[in-house]
Amino acid sequence: MRELIGLCQKLLRDGDVKVVIGYEEGPRGVRPAVITDPAGCERLVFDHRAVHNLVAYLSPRRGHLRDLGRAAVVVKGCDVAAFATLLRESQLEREGAVLVGVRCGGVYRSAAGSGPLDEKNVADRCGDCGLREPGTVDHLVGELPAAPPVSGRRAARIAEIENMSPAERFAYWREVLADCVRCNACRSACPLCVCERCLADKTDPRWVESSPHPRGNLSWHMARALHLAGRCVDCGDCERACPFGIPLTLINGKVGLVMRERFGFAPGEDPEVPAPIGTFDTDDSQEFIR
Amino acid sequence: MSNEKTESLFITDADLAALASDLIAAGTRVVAPVPSGDDEGRTHYRALSSADRFALDGPLPCGSLKEFFLPPTEVLLRWRRDQGKVEVDPAPPDAPATVILGAAPCDVAGPPVVDRVMDWDFRDEPWFARREATVVIARACPGRDASCFCTAVGLSPSSTRGADIMLSPTGESGGGHAVRVLTDKGADLVKRHRARFGAARGAAGAERLAAEAESRVAGNLDIDPRAVRSWLAANFDHPLWRRLADRCHGCGACAAVCPACHCFDIVDEPDGTDHGARRRNWDMCQFSLFTLHGSGHNPRQTQSARIRQRVMHKFSIYPERFGEILCTGCGRCARACPGGMDLPEILRELQRLAGGKSTAGGA
Repeated sequence: MRELIGLCQKLLRDGDVKVVIGYEEGPRGVRPAVITDPAGCERLVFDHRAVHNLVAYLSPRRGHLRDLGRAAVVVKGCDVAAFATLLRESQLEREGAVLVGVRCGGVYRSAAGSGPLDEKNVADRCGDCGLREPGTVDHLVGELPAAPPVSGRRAARIAEIENMSPAERFAYWREVLADCVRCNACRSACPLCVCERCLADKTDPRWVESSPHPRGNLSWHMARALHLAGRCVDCGDCERACPFGIPLTLINGKVGLVMRERFGFAPGEDPEVPAPIGTFDTDDSQEFIR
Repeated sequence: MSNEKTESLFITDADLAALASDLIAAGTRVVAPVPSGDDEGRTHYRALSSADRFALDGPLPCGSLKEFFLPPTEVLLRWRRDQGKVEVDPAPPDAPATVILGAAPCDVAGPPVVDRVMDWDFRDEPWFARREATVVIARACPGRDASCFCTAVGLSPSSTRGADIMLSPTGESGGGHAVRVLTDKGADLVKRHRARFGAARGAAGAERLAAEAESRVAGNLDIDPRAVRSWLAANFDHPLWRRLADRCHGCGACAAVCPACHCFDIVDEPDGTDHGARRRNWDMCQFSLFTLHGSGHNPRQTQSARIRQRVMHKFSIYPERFGEILCTGCGRCARACPGGMDLPEILRELQRLAGGKSTAGGA
């Protein structure tokens, strides 16, 4: 921890950055911290509770943080994949932020997790992580901890849903999404929901009804899933942000599986690797696109 | 309430479940905390399909009781256009006979607080139709966790505000609740189901548990709401607001789960080309769209202005206009916030700035 704190203090003191975005102890576990003075860096922590993807705070639509000046952001490998996605999409500039990578041994499903990491409390994404030691960051701190345990929880749940008949599946999602009141926490907490004007906020024409009735909610969650296809880094911040506990990462997880199976693509830390969306190939396997 | 009466009774756990079954069988909508069955052990207030599903000892449900008085979406009117003529049919409010069972005092206190604005310059008929169709059976709370602060806003884990009947666990090994009948509505329900209730007992145990719960919650936060209100009125441009905005994502989770937030949006939605519905939906003051004018001007341009509004509305503006705080101290906003915003922490800071000392809770 001293290494992380010392590095962030130096970045602030040397004027490399004006603000450090990291993790601190909060009233209910670890929470995001925005620190502008070197002394404040003493608050920084990093452990299995560092669940949030802090790249969300670099979003171009967050004027209030951008106004503070160049930021150093504490990132896990999976968070770097979100940064790379935003670079690929020209939403950020590489020099716009200093990435302070931390070697990662996996995180809990919740920022208030406790005890040793096990297959019950580990985040679904951590099991097959290939980014525990990110290579495209500006600084890399910490020792590489043991690999996290694997959770089969979500894969099993997705398989269960796939085995439903279309009518059962529709009924399932209709019931689950009935809890959605469109507070937009899933969108706001997402590091990749960067649109200045979201499709769901457009009124002329109205593409997605704002009412939280079945039609409006299905439209919104379907649009959200498709807009994140090949972009979602599976940080799970949408699901954690949902105040009603809607299992949103089942949707994004399934879309992620399709992207791997059909396009051989999963978002990584290299922004130069082209993503399926925004790429054109004359040898495309799909005839209609050639 | 002028019709307050207090009759004391007792109900066993089996009779409470049977009461729920009786009510459901009679066609009453019974709303109670129900486990969601997820790995996190969440609960929700739900209309019960059978009495075997409710669970009173879980965490505070994800949402408050608000949705049963102000649904997240409701149809206000339907319209049809026929050759240049528009026909409008007002939709009568959907207000089924409802019994709320085992709700926490911080949730039960929400609707009476919101009544003030709903009957201010305009009487909100759908709201009051549902208020009148509902009997509220509250249950004294043990104090859930460190985010609870009902005692800081003039309530307590055993407050009866908004309740028609109050259930209090007595600590007896066999379970059961001491029952206090508080209003005519409550007395009427008890009269119709008298066989489910027995002679009063366990008052001393209930009082002891209530006192323990109160001191537990009081340890979380101690503020002088009048001092906070004065400070807020005088510090519109304080740097605190800017600092609070840093970790805020600008979502509406806090308002969505709040028992007292009641803002709504009204939209016209077509169903096809010639007919549609006017709907009222929850709206949230942390959205930039909440105050965006048709002209493009936005009087609350920044997230800090929006956070200031949320805090001021609850602790300064509403108290000034209606004489009460627009917050029941349930702590849901703090538990729900994806950015780690924490209203008890903010109030503690406001109390410090206001010059008083708040010793309870915090680091």
